[in-house]
Amino acid sequence: MKKALVATFALAALVAIALVSGRAAAAPAATQDTSLTGTGSSFVFPLVSKWIPAVGQAYGINLTYSLTGSGAGIAGVTARTVDFGASDAPLSADQLTACKSCVVIPWALSATSIPYNVPGLGGRLRIDGATLSNIYLGKITNWNDAAIKKLNPKLSLPNLKITPVFRSDSSGTTYNFTEYLSSVSSEFRSKVGNNTAVNFPTGVGARGSAGVAGVVSKTEGALTYVDVAYSLTNHFTFAAIKNRAGAYALPGLRGIKQAVSQLPKKVTSLSQLKIVDPPKSAGKQAYPISTFTYVIVPTNSKSAGDVRKLVYWAVTQGQQFGPPLLFQPLPVTVQAFAYREIKKIQGV
Amino acid sequence: MSTIDDSAAPGAGLAGTGLERRGLRLGDTLFRGVALAASAGSAFLLGWIAFKVLDLAWPSIEEFGLSFIWTDAWDPVTEQFGALAFVYGTALTSAIALVLAVPISIGIALFLTELAPRRVAAPIATMVELLAAIPSVVLGLWGILVFGPWVAQHLEPLLQNYLGFLPIFSGSPSQAGILPAALVLTIMIVPIASAICRELFLRVPRDLTDGALALGSTRWESIRGVTLAYAAPGIAAAVLLGLGRAFGEAIAVTQVIGGGNSINVSWFATGDTLASRIASQYQGATSQLQAGSILYLAAILMAISLVTNVVAQVIVRRFEKARRAA
Amino acid sequence: MSTVAETIDPYDITQRSNGLRRRRITEKLMGVLAIGSALAAVGILALVLGTVIYKGIDALDADFFTQPRPLFGAEGGIADALVGSALIVAMCVIFAVPVAVLVAIYMAEYASPRVSVFLRIVLDVLNGVPAIVVGIFIFGILVVGHGQSAIFGALALAILMLPMVARATQEVLEVIPRSLREASLALGVTKWRTTTSIVLPAAVGGILTGVVIAVARVAGETAPLLFTSSIAANQVSTDVFHALPTLPVAIFTFADSADPADQARGWAAALVLIVFVLVTNILAKVFSRGRAGR
Repeated sequence: MKKALVATFALAALVAIALVSGRAAAAPAATQDTSLTGTGSSFVFPLVSKWIPAVGQAYGINLTYSLTGSGAGIAGVTARTVDFGASDAPLSADQLTACKSCVVIPWALSATSIPYNVPGLGGRLRIDGATLSNIYLGKITNWNDAAIKKLNPKLSLPNLKITPVFRSDSSGTTYNFTEYLSSVSSEFRSKVGNNTAVNFPTGVGARGSAGVAGVVSKTEGALTYVDVAYSLTNHFTFAAIKNRAGAYALPGLRGIKQAVSQLPKKVTSLSQLKIVDPPKSAGKQAYPISTFTYVIVPTNSKSAGDVRKLVYWAVTQGQQFGPPLLFQPLPVTVQAFAYREIKKIQGV
Repeated sequence: MSTIDDSAAPGAGLAGTGLERRGLRLGDTLFRGVALAASAGSAFLLGWIAFKVLDLAWPSIEEFGLSFIWTDAWDPVTEQFGALAFVYGTALTSAIALVLAVPISIGIALFLTELAPRRVAAPIATMVELLAAIPSVVLGLWGILVFGPWVAQHLEPLLQNYLGFLPIFSGSPSQAGILPAALVLTIMIVPIASAICRELFLRVPRDLTDGALALGSTRWESIRGVTLAYAAPGIAAAVLLGLGRAFGEAIAVTQVIGGGNSINVSWFATGDTLASRIASQYQGATSQLQAGSILYLAAILMAISLVTNVVAQVIVRRFEKARRAA
Repeated sequence: MSTVAETIDPYDITQRSNGLRRRRITEKLMGVLAIGSALAAVGILALVLGTVIYKGIDALDADFFTQPRPLFGAEGGIADALVGSALIVAMCVIFAVPVAVLVAIYMAEYASPRVSVFLRIVLDVLNGVPAIVVGIFIFGILVVGHGQSAIFGALALAILMLPMVARATQEVLEVIPRSLREASLALGVTKWRTTTSIVLPAAVGGILTGVVIAVARVAGETAPLLFTSSIAANQVSTDVFHALPTLPVAIFTFADSADPADQARGWAAALVLIVFVLVTNILAKVFSRGRAGR
């Protein structure tokens, strides 16, 4: 009986300590009275991480963001389990209806890199859309395949199996990647298609940008698609992709900037923001797998006013945090589009 | 005049003032009512869970009907969904895990009850219990970072070297796939099954085993003929309980199975189980139909777990009845 | 001529029997296999624990216990996850234990045998519901429309804990001798007072053991928390009306990362979790032994 009492007191003491220390440590946060929760794209997570402390200082907004994949971001905001969702894939017509008066606003711009783990190459890998499609369709299975050799005559390609790695969760990066592959390969478009989650015929799945990056770093011969901020932070080598101008482009700021150079002067709808596989006129350094990433906001929720402040800040001052993480600041036409959409957020 | 009120509820005891008697009955009724409410609530909760799963799965049940269970498809782009690949994955990983775990568990239990001196048996029994206590997320962490790579770099090439003619060991070694997942499940099942087996073997009447030994059987023969035969229903129940655990394990499996979409003969290939697919895709379902389909997987999982559970209980109950009658 | 196995003379042709030699070999073989199985189990345990300790111990510094989980590319620890887990588990115990004890009391004291069997089946089936289904259930009825919160997470864990504690309590209650209850009733104590003041205190040790074991199980559950309390700020918070970070979910997230620092944090967090689970298990053993001794 005594032992039981002792144990109960111990448990209670533990909880008390937890509460006290929690309160003490959370004290600074207590001064921030608004808290916003968002979820979704892991693509935009590096940038949002930089925004969290900044937005806290600017508006006193306690921003919480967790990565669950673009699909979960869309589902979360539709079910109103979060205040906003982040997705690299724009909403389909069905999803927009299901979300019930949500607006979709582009708030960052970056690119999907193709990192690989092939030791002893002696240079950067060059690849084009057709070869990449064939790898993910399972038609090219070895690094010393003729198609890859043709594009990389100077590299020493080993006899190593290719392990294509894909996102097993619902991912906007998958959307971006499959959008590119679908536009350069009709076979890919008909066999696999373009969505946040597709049925890849071959390869290994992993969850989140961190997951695919993790598999690539541990598996020789692996290749995947992940946003360039992750490649950069994990010191991966990524491939140079052939664009329509015939040159091989890298997912740097210049590559992304040229990719968006062909946008119309006034952007009126999201469908005009498709920037994969840009035309020849975009430039020699245009990177073919660039993408905008979007925030999805209900126009009439309780927290709409605060989200409006957040999104406005994000598309203006937030953009300056982008370049070190290879997020290109939004072009002026897109910013103007964003302003117009932000106005639709009324608040209750 | 009798002061004992026999119309009172049991425990009302000797009569006091009328008010006191009413108060006592109130306490009893209230308490019984609260306890009844808790029990009814638990039963209701179980029903509610089953109902809610079916309710959320309804869009998919309506669309695909029962054929969902044996359709091999999972394409969010064309909105074609079917559970066969995951039923296969669940069945295969659990089967491999069982085939490996049951002999090992029986071996451990026999070691602890027959071979080991008591001083050795106690700490080893504790260690096996501790193996059961390791949270599945820690096994998953170990699986992704240590075990999976080891399987890919050492175990699978070894199997392919010696048994590569078998189609199940064909294909290229991968650190995420059916085999690593099945092995992790084995590690999870062994402690549970061996604990149950140990209890069973301890309860086998000594006179039966002694009789076998007296008749000239070796230790092993008496174990095989008496202990195992006697405990067979219990072992079956232990197997089923382990199976139930294997079916429902989502976290550790999803971390090492690789999220594949199709049925593959090779055990090195990626795949997915019902629980693991639910864990990895539920939050990101992009359409009502996909969300519904994932819940349909949950409904299938629940049905399988239910059946396994009930069968295990029936076996145990019949076992106990037979034992009591004997 | 009776031949007891042990006195076979290998040089006497009339007594030698290949069958016997084969049986002895089989016996030895089975012995070796049994020992091998036990060694394999111990070996795996040592391997897993060893790896966790070896890889996690370096990351265990003061920062680890006082800093919240880091944002992208920053430094941090698991302080927020520790606080979150402690709160959620505490709430889970508060939600589950009273209900579980009441159910057990009803089964042991009030219910007819058939109702009792029915409830036993209900509890066993509830125990067999996979944790992930429980997570989806709470998600479907509570999180949708309201957002995640630590309370919902605690409710999901409470559903998992309920059958374990109820069964343990019921078994303890059944062991308490009938004479205790009958003596109390004979003295005029009401049934409910008997149960709460006489029977329950006698059962407290066993109930506590059951609770401690259930806590050890539930503290490591990840799946229900993924759906109910996974989107949480990277700072220490005690606001239970919002989602709080938890240790199992943190380990789950760290496991996927390519960043070696994150992986190191994952191992260290796993070490903390394992230590907690082991300590609680040992505590439960100490309780039950203390009870048995009394």
